[in-house]
This record gives sequence, C-alpha cells and structure tokens, in this order.
Amino acid sequence: MSEVTGTGYLECLLESWRAKPAEALSWLDQLRAQAIDRVSTQKLPTKRDEEWRFTDISPLTTLPYRPSQPDANLRIQDIQHLFLDEVKSRLVFVDGYYSPQLSVIVNPALVMGNLPALLSTHATALESHLGQYARFDQNVFTAMSTAFLRDAAVIIAPKNTVITDPIHVLFIATQHEVTSYPRCLVIGETGSQITLIEDYVALQQAAYVTNAVTEISLAGNARAQHIRIQRESSQAFHFANCVAALAHASHYQSVSIAQGSKISRYNLDVRLTDEAAECMIDGLTLISDRQLADTHTCIDHSKPNGTSHQQHKCIADDTAHAVFNGKIIVRPHAQHTNSSQSSRNLLLSKTAQVDTKPQLEIFADDVKCAHGATVGQLDAEEIFYLRSRGLSEKSARNLLTYAFGAEIINRIPVTSLRQQLAQAVLDQTQSN
Amino acid sequence: MSAVLQSLVNQPYKHGFVTDIESDIAPKGLNEDIIRLISAKKDEPEWLLSFRLKAYEKWLTMTAPEWQNVHYAKIDFQDISYYSAPKPKKKLASMDEVDPELLRTFEKLGAAMHERAALAGVAVDVIFDSVSVATTYKQKLAEVGIIFCSISEAVHTHPELVQKYLGTVVPVGDNYFAALNSAVFTDGSFCFIPKGVKCPMDLSTYFRINTEGSGQFERTLIIAEEGASVSYLEGCTAPRFDTNQLHAAVVELIALDNADIKYSTVQNWYAGDEKGVGGIYNFVTKRGLAKGVNSRISWTQVETGSAITWKYPSCILRGDNSVGEFYSVAVTNNYQQADTGTKMIHIGKNTRSTIVSKGISAGHSNSSYRGLVRIAPTAEGARNYSQCDSMLIGDQCGAHTFPYIQVHNNSATVEHEASTSKIGEDQLFYFSQRGIGAEEAVSMIINGFCKDVFQQLPMEFAVEATKLLSFKLEGSVG
Repeated sequence: MSEVTGTGYLECLLESWRAKPAEALSWLDQLRAQAIDRVSTQKLPTKRDEEWRFTDISPLTTLPYRPSQPDANLRIQDIQHLFLDEVKSRLVFVDGYYSPQLSVIVNPALVMGNLPALLSTHATALESHLGQYARFDQNVFTAMSTAFLRDAAVIIAPKNTVITDPIHVLFIATQHEVTSYPRCLVIGETGSQITLIEDYVALQQAAYVTNAVTEISLAGNARAQHIRIQRESSQAFHFANCVAALAHASHYQSVSIAQGSKISRYNLDVRLTDEAAECMIDGLTLISDRQLADTHTCIDHSKPNGTSHQQHKCIADDTAHAVFNGKIIVRPHAQHTNSSQSSRNLLLSKTAQVDTKPQLEIFADDVKCAHGATVGQLDAEEIFYLRSRGLSEKSARNLLTYAFGAEIINRIPVTSLRQQLAQAVLDQTQSN
Repeated sequence: MSAVLQSLVNQPYKHGFVTDIESDIAPKGLNEDIIRLISAKKDEPEWLLSFRLKAYEKWLTMTAPEWQNVHYAKIDFQDISYYSAPKPKKKLASMDEVDPELLRTFEKLGAAMHERAALAGVAVDVIFDSVSVATTYKQKLAEVGIIFCSISEAVHTHPELVQKYLGTVVPVGDNYFAALNSAVFTDGSFCFIPKGVKCPMDLSTYFRINTEGSGQFERTLIIAEEGASVSYLEGCTAPRFDTNQLHAAVVELIALDNADIKYSTVQNWYAGDEKGVGGIYNFVTKRGLAKGVNSRISWTQVETGSAITWKYPSCILRGDNSVGEFYSVAVTNNYQQADTGTKMIHIGKNTRSTIVSKGISAGHSNSSYRGLVRIAPTAEGARNYSQCDSMLIGDQCGAHTFPYIQVHNNSATVEHEASTSKIGEDQLFYFSQRGIGAEEAVSMIINGFCKDVFQQLPMEFAVEATKLLSFKLEGSVG
C-alpha cells in the first residue's frame, strides 16, 4: 500500500483494510482500489481547511475506531418502535450491514435490495451509477466510504413507475467504538416517482462513527422526495455526503433533520445537470448540550431554466454550535436560473452559537438569485402577544420555538414521521 | 448588449498621464538597509525605526494570502522601489508654492475634483507618489485645535500622539500587506480632532502614484477624541503603465467616547487596459476602532479603478452603543477583479452595524463581496443589518457573495440579504417608451441601484462618483 499520510484515525482504519486484490479486478474492485489510493493521499480535515473552519473534528482522532462487524442478533422486537405506519417496504442495515430478516420488500414494481444481491442482475445500472456522483478525489470521508464499499442500499425506480408509499431505509447503530459505512444508491429512471426516508438511529448511547454516502440520480422528468433523519446517539460522530444529480426537468425535494450526534457534518450537493431541473431543499438542525451540527450544501446550476429553493433552520440550545454553509453556483450558461436561499437561526441560550454563510457564485447575467440569513432569539413582541392571551412565558416560548421548527417538519409528506419529529421538538423545548 | 452601452462602458482612462517631475527614487528592492534609508531620509526618531524593523521581521515570516477570490501573478517585492519623492522638495506653506508642474498635473486631472473641493473650502493633503506635497487650510484648522498634516510631519511635531496610536488598530503583524506597509510606509495623512471639536470643513487626501515601478505605501491615522467629529475624503488616481503597481496602504481610525468619524473614498486608480494589462494592485487594510461609548465609524467607498481591489474596511465596535457603517459601490469592467467587503466585530453592548454593498460587474470582470459579522459573547443586544446586491452586465462576468455570520450571543439580531439582477430588456424598453435613450436609461438605472451608497457621500463626491460610474460603464450594457 502507498504511504499513509493520515492521522491516527485513518491509519487505524487503513491497517484493517486487507491488501488490494491483485488480479481479475471487477469494476467494483477497481472503484475500491482507486478510492483506497485517494484515502492514502489525503488527511483528515482540520479547522485550517476553509470548508471545516468552524467544525473541529479532532476528538475523532483520539479514539481508535475499528470497522464494524456484522451482527445478526438483532430481533425485530428490538427495532419495532422505529417502524413507520405508512411504510410497506423497508431496508434495514445494522452497523452498515444488510439485515434481510429485518427488511421487507413488497413492491414488485421496484428494484430494491442490497448491493451484493443486485450485483449480478443489475450490473450495468450499478456500474454506471455507483460511486459516479460522490467524488472521492477531494473528500476523505467519501474516499473512505468507497474504499470500504461492500454493502449498500440500492433502489431503482424503473421507467414511469410511480410509487406512492414511502421506502424506509433504516441504518441502525448498535456497536461501540466502531466505524460503519452506510451507503445508499437511488436511481430514478425517466418519469419515475419515489419517496425515500433515510433514517439514522442508535439503539444505545454509544460512541461510534457513521460515515454515510448517498447518491441519487434522477433521469428526465423523474421525481424524488428524500427525507433524511439523523438521530444518532449523542456520543456519535456522523459524517455524511449526499449527492443528487438531476437531469432534464427532474424534480428533487429534500428535507433533512439533524438532531443527534456529538459532532455531525452533512454535505448535500445538488447538481442540476440539465435544463429545467428543480430542487427544493429544506433542513432543520435541532441541537442542545454540547452538540455541534454542521450542514454544508451546494446547489450547482449548470444549465438554463433551473429552479432551486432552499430554507435551512437551526435551533441551538445550551452550548450547542450550529454551522450552515450554503453555496449556490450559477455557471456561465445557466441563464434564467431562479434560486432562493434562506438561513434562519434561533439561539435559545446565551451560550449557544451559530456560524452561517450563505454564499452565491454567479457567472450568468440573466438570473434571479437571492439569499438571506437571520440569527436571533425569539421575538419579544411575539412572546408578549401570547402572554397577553394568557399563556405563561414558558409556554409562549415553547409554542414559538415549536412553530419555528414546524415550518420545516410540516414539509415531510409522511404523517407518522412528522408527528414523531414534532414530538421531538416539543420534548426539546419543554426540557428548558 | 447594445452598441451604445458597449461604447459607454469602454471609455478610456482619463487620468493616465505621467507628470514629468524629477523624482528622488530609492533603489529597487527591500531589505533592512532600505528601511533604514527611508527612516533616515525622513529623519525619523528611533522608536519609529524599530517599529518598522519589527514589522519587517514579522513580514519575513509571513506568506502572501491566497484565500481571496482574485488571481494575479506573484509580486516580486524586490522589484519595487519603496521610496519615490518629487525632487524639488522643500517645506510648503500654501498651494502657491507647489511645483507648477505638479499643479498642472492637477489641472490635467480633468475632473480636478480635489482642486475644486479645495476652492470650495475643503482642506486637502496631497500625496504624490509617497510623499505629502501640500496641505491646505492648515492654519484655519489649527485655530480650533485640529492637527491635519502629513504623517511624517506629525512624527516630528506630535510624536507622542503618533506613538500612542500608530499600530494600535492594525498591529504590525496583522496581515501580509499591513506588515509590509508598516515596514516601508513613506507618508500619509495624520488627523487629530481634539475633545468636543466638530471639524468645520471636510478633510481630504488626494493620492497619486506617478513613478513607474514604485509602490505606494501610505499610512493614514485619524483620531477623534471625546465628542469630536470629522468627515474625511480620500481620492486616488495613477498614470497608465503596462506594469502592475502595488498600492498597500493602511488606514487606522480611532473614535473615543461620542466621537464620529466618517471616511469616504472614491478610488479610481488606473485599472489596466481592456485586455487586463497593467493597472494598480490595490491591497489595502482599513480598520476603525470604535473605542468609546456611543462612538460611530462610517465607511463609504466607491471603487471603480484598480486592476485588483482587495480590501475590507472594518469596524471594531468595542464601546457600548457604538455604531459601524459600511456603504460600498464596487464597479468592475474588462478584466478587473474586486474582492471587497467589510468586517463588523461587535464586542460592546447594544452595538449596531449596517452594511450596504452594491457590486456591478461588466466585461470579463469578477467582483466578490466578502463580509464578516461577528457577535462576541459580550455583545448583548447587538444588531446588524446587511444587504448586498449585485448587478451583472453581460454574460462573461461574475458576481460572488461570501458573507460570514458568526453569532455567539443570543440577544443579538443579525439579518443578511443579497440579490442579483441585471438591467433587463423590459426596463430599457420602458425607458425608451418614455423617450429616454438607452445610454441615459442605463445611467439612471445604475444610479438608482447605487443610490443608497451615494447618499452617504459628501455632495462633491457624490456628483463625482455618479459621473465616474457612468463613464466607467459606458458601452457595457445592452
């Protein structure tokens, strides 16, 4: 193996990677081999890197994390509370490994399963999409994930298939001091429609690392609703990269909720690669104690007539630290782009902090782009109004905080999940 | 893009003549000896020499920053002459004693705004290359206790004030170019407004780089004591040369309790030709310290020149209830690059800041707004409002926004908005329907776009800025 320049964390993980297969490389092996080459030339980012200047991940390097091992002991009773009523099809991954006994695949119109199961039957589709969007030449976490790529949730919506019930992909963490690599690939063929719930949960308060990569490819006129819930353990580190590539007139709607983890970082890249593509991206960060949640999004308009709308909200309590960086790029030929972005941040305590940076990079003249950012506490006049209606100060505050978060949560099209999350916001506000 | 607008934008640079004045130029290159030479030429006290040497030592350990969104060939700091003074140098008491050649230079400056301003009763300090050549209205200002002179004069006449404040807002090692400036600065303006004095007239400095291959490193220091107020104007031009020239200035403002400093700049350095050859590198550190309670610092800038503009006039709002303001118009055309914005550092309670930034890009130019609003944990009840709008003229240019917002206190309210637009066909159509030609329409639209900033400028400057903008953009729209 080439020289390792990483820190303790990377070295530790790389050691466990067995020697690269020497011959008869399949495309997947080649992909992994390329990624491992990239890992060994990169370093873990520090606060000196512009993209990480507010997020200090050095605590990660002090702990020796091993790759997770498959564990088949989890029973359906243990995780039943995580199921959603509306969901018929479910893929469950335990510490990054597929668990067939916990998963349910009912919809024959859809190609759905884990990577090894579909590798022989859908090789062409997988080869042309897997690892093709989440670039690993710059991002060490994506490179790690690709280097360790063994299993993945794969969902292919064939041409003109419209699936109304949501698909639940559950990534469950059960082990201590391990690193798992959840991976997800969604291919929406021409004219298809799906709803995906990507859900990261922990069964215990353990310290572990999740390094997740999700790739979503939408062909012409395809539509996808992508709901992403991060409710990891409060000791966990969560690093996730999601890339959505949007073809002609496709539509991508994403709602991501970041609630768990000690340190979390979510990168969402949306690439509008053809004309008239549309995306709506919303996010809510709900953190307290000493949590740090960092969301970086990049919306890249490279063709004309694209539309993007983004709203990101953060609620930070105690000494929590929320970071948001939203970049919008309008490339030279992307005329008639319409893009809006808003970052709204609510600080509930004196010691909570927010760093936000909405960023525009525009190279085309006939475009409409606007962004806005606000940071503040609850409006004293609004509280006064509610108190004049007989609410106590505390319930007035709770109600306003709830309403602040509810605006995002209400965009989730799955009722039971919406209720669960609304409850989570209430629990958090009432703990004050 | 209509032909009218094209021709509108591409007017030649009007201040591009060279004044044939014999200069006293130091050999090119930078080393300790040069710094000692500069210091000796200016007959400086020992403490200032050690200030320079300290800065030089610091500078040697630093590397040129690369994070900014501008591109240029590496600067060879050994190929610059760090001292250039017009030769017939003697003490000047009034404008009449100035070298007639120099005076003709000002005649030639077409707009001659500063001349006219001087006639209209504005005190002017003229900095030619690196040396202050004339300060007008000194006597009248002295009557109310205001010290307004070149900084090299102040070093001799008021060393205690210079020593007390120099480098307190921008420390010698603040950044690469500030360190360089601290080591080699040759002149600049010094202004001291004593307690309770409202400056009776606008003060103005006029900068001009004349000699090819010389850098201009001026240093401005303005101090407003308790309850004082001053409005200060700065204007810049340079002749056209095919080589790039470096302008690395440092401006420090200090406002004590209830003081008010308003600093306006109209920057029209030579921007290079339409292919991007030549022009000034304008790498400037400007920072104001609102030290006292209820103090106010306001920056207004109209940036139309320079091949590369890279500056962030900032406010450190330390005093409770202090106010920081930043109003900016940055216009780039051809291959110009501008990365400009501000920093508002809120430290005191109930501090307020306003940022209004307007960027206009045409041709192949790129302009970026980069701003920082930082609310420290101590800044109870701080308030910020930022607005940055960009206008793109043509499809080869770019506009970028990088606002950093860091809030560490929950009682603060921070708002930021940004938008991008262009001069639409329908807008031009509307004007032509009302009998207004494209050229005038564009000028009206742009002036409307920049109105919020122009309103902040003193009268003469506002007129000048409006004119500057319209000929700067002549021919670029349509």
